[in-house]
Amino acid sequence: MQKIGVIGTGSIADVHLEGWRRMPGVEIVGYYDLLPEAAARAAQRYGGRAFASLEALLAAVDVVDICTPASTHKELVLAAADAGKAIICEKPLARHSADAREMVEACERAGVMLFPAQVVRFFPMYRRVKERIDAGAIGKPAVYRSARCGAFPRPGGKFSAAHYADFAQSGGVVLDVGVHDIDFARWCCGDIERVFARGLTFAGRPYQDHAQITLRFATGAIGFIEVSWAHPRGVFRTRVEVAGDEGLIEWDSLDRPPLLAELYDEARGLQRLSSSPTAPEDEPYYAELAHFIDVLEGRAQPIVTARDGLEAVRAALAAIESMRSGRPVALKEFGG
Amino acid sequence: MSEKTVRIGFLGVAHMHSVSYAANLLQMAGVEIVGMWDRSPSLAVEWSQRLGVRRYEQAEQLLDAGPDAVVVCSENALHRPLVELAAGRVGAILCEKPIAVTLADAQAMIERCATANTRLQIAFPVRFAPAVVELKRRLDAGELGQVFAVNCTNHGSMPGGWFVDPELAGGGAVIDHTVHVIDLLRWFWNAEVTEVYAEVGDSLLHPDLGIDDAGLLSFTLSNGVYGSLDTSWSRPPSYPVWGDVKIEVVGERGAIYLDALHQYVTVASDATGKTQWVSYGSDIDRGLMADFVDMVRSERAPSITGADGLAALAVALAAYASARRGEPVPLENALPTLNR
Repeated sequence: MQKIGVIGTGSIADVHLEGWRRMPGVEIVGYYDLLPEAAARAAQRYGGRAFASLEALLAAVDVVDICTPASTHKELVLAAADAGKAIICEKPLARHSADAREMVEACERAGVMLFPAQVVRFFPMYRRVKERIDAGAIGKPAVYRSARCGAFPRPGGKFSAAHYADFAQSGGVVLDVGVHDIDFARWCCGDIERVFARGLTFAGRPYQDHAQITLRFATGAIGFIEVSWAHPRGVFRTRVEVAGDEGLIEWDSLDRPPLLAELYDEARGLQRLSSSPTAPEDEPYYAELAHFIDVLEGRAQPIVTARDGLEAVRAALAAIESMRSGRPVALKEFGG
Repeated sequence: MSEKTVRIGFLGVAHMHSVSYAANLLQMAGVEIVGMWDRSPSLAVEWSQRLGVRRYEQAEQLLDAGPDAVVVCSENALHRPLVELAAGRVGAILCEKPIAVTLADAQAMIERCATANTRLQIAFPVRFAPAVVELKRRLDAGELGQVFAVNCTNHGSMPGGWFVDPELAGGGAVIDHTVHVIDLLRWFWNAEVTEVYAEVGDSLLHPDLGIDDAGLLSFTLSNGVYGSLDTSWSRPPSYPVWGDVKIEVVGERGAIYLDALHQYVTVASDATGKTQWVSYGSDIDRGLMADFVDMVRSERAPSITGADGLAALAVALAAYASARRGEPVPLENALPTLNR
């Protein structure tokens, strides 16, 4: 039985807790949050108790699940590593490269697992893309393209909107969203050599952001990623394609869904509801947490490592630097 | 694990679903495949080596090994003798669809299992497709108001082999692809098909096939819904996927379109010389196997019964009868006379 402690009880913690709650072999022991009332609310909803301090939580658990904003990760990871706890940490691993590196090295020294929650690797369509590449269906990956486009996030209302709008805290859409696609691109195509990017991050639009990132991989492959917080509210559009020298794989969230309902009533007009459900055990966040536990208990090799989390952060920050400078940024020399 | 290990055998593996069923069982904690048997020694050797499962020379030897349950995935016409052989020797049987090739066979299997106190489940894995489960939930919630009609397809690729042998399969595309969708509709509404009209095409898509490879059913249900079903093996080898299960429901408040398995990445590969849709959807056979194992372990009643299998088969056989006679065929009270 793994005793789980959740640090930070905002919207992503809810998603994790829905998974922890139905997973056999784990126990939700409790929560720590800077806002005691948020931790108390989580305890009421998911069981376990609200801890008054980080130290008290660390003393009571085997595993910490860090669901706080990126800028707070370093302090929490270092404390958990010191206490010898296994760690799953939400993406991006850190706000700055140096912080991410310090976290990775501290966990390596302490001999504790630091698992970056790069959940895209657990989405079934992305898994299938990677699996087909590995099976040789497209030959050698040559041109990678993906997109992740939505509206400006305000999951917890005013508080979180202010957080995301504060570039110093969030790193904008390139760090917060871009690490998803950068990590997936690295999984498919290997290490990134250099990046070039354009976007709205420094355009003075506090509640909109958008970027286009061009990549060159060490293998010679090239790639393009679009990330957006400038799309209409209610829209979440993703797509991925990988062209190789012997084939092509593509997927688009606009593909027809397995279930589409078109319902009409006079009050609301036409309602179009589309759905692409999975079995509960294939739900991506559940699959990610279950994989983390499998790795922790020696049943699986990790499909993503702390170093991958660090490299995704480095490439995202290099893209931000490129937007600032108007120049391509080579990853080898880039400190972040 | 405090739960008792469930020991399962395979009696007949001529249906290709047996591979996926076995692969899923091998992944499950607390489940053991004790062995397999097939009447074809070459198929048995290949199958047992592929899955790493012990092969028995005789079906009786497999039963002597004392499995808790068996999966029957033989040719359709052999379902009856194999189910009858296993009944009374095991606690539960999972029989591939269609349950049998005649209603008399199906009835005999059900009665033999009931007498022998062996629980008989029919393999309708599409009930475990997450989008199908969601459609049922939406229908149960009454989102469409009164439902008028369903427009259904269960297209496929021509499977060849014993599937096109009338003696072993009992029919072609119509018997192969009527039963999945009819089972779903019966399950959605707890209703029975009351009348069927069918146009059946023999060797229509595949010259000289010698069996029906196309079928269009028009039917009514006991809840007042009317519907259609295309059972054709009409997806050519050049098509990107093997087939489909689609149900479009029209009601007084709107329409719901189900394309049950449409969760695909598109893969164009020079190695295969074609573009394919590769599924990333949840494995429906895993859901079926988990349900079956739970049934074996808990000793509860099967979620999909022999009677469900018989009712779906009756619709397929009524479609053939309708095509022969050129008129609609009622199912109520007509089941015994449809016997071939």
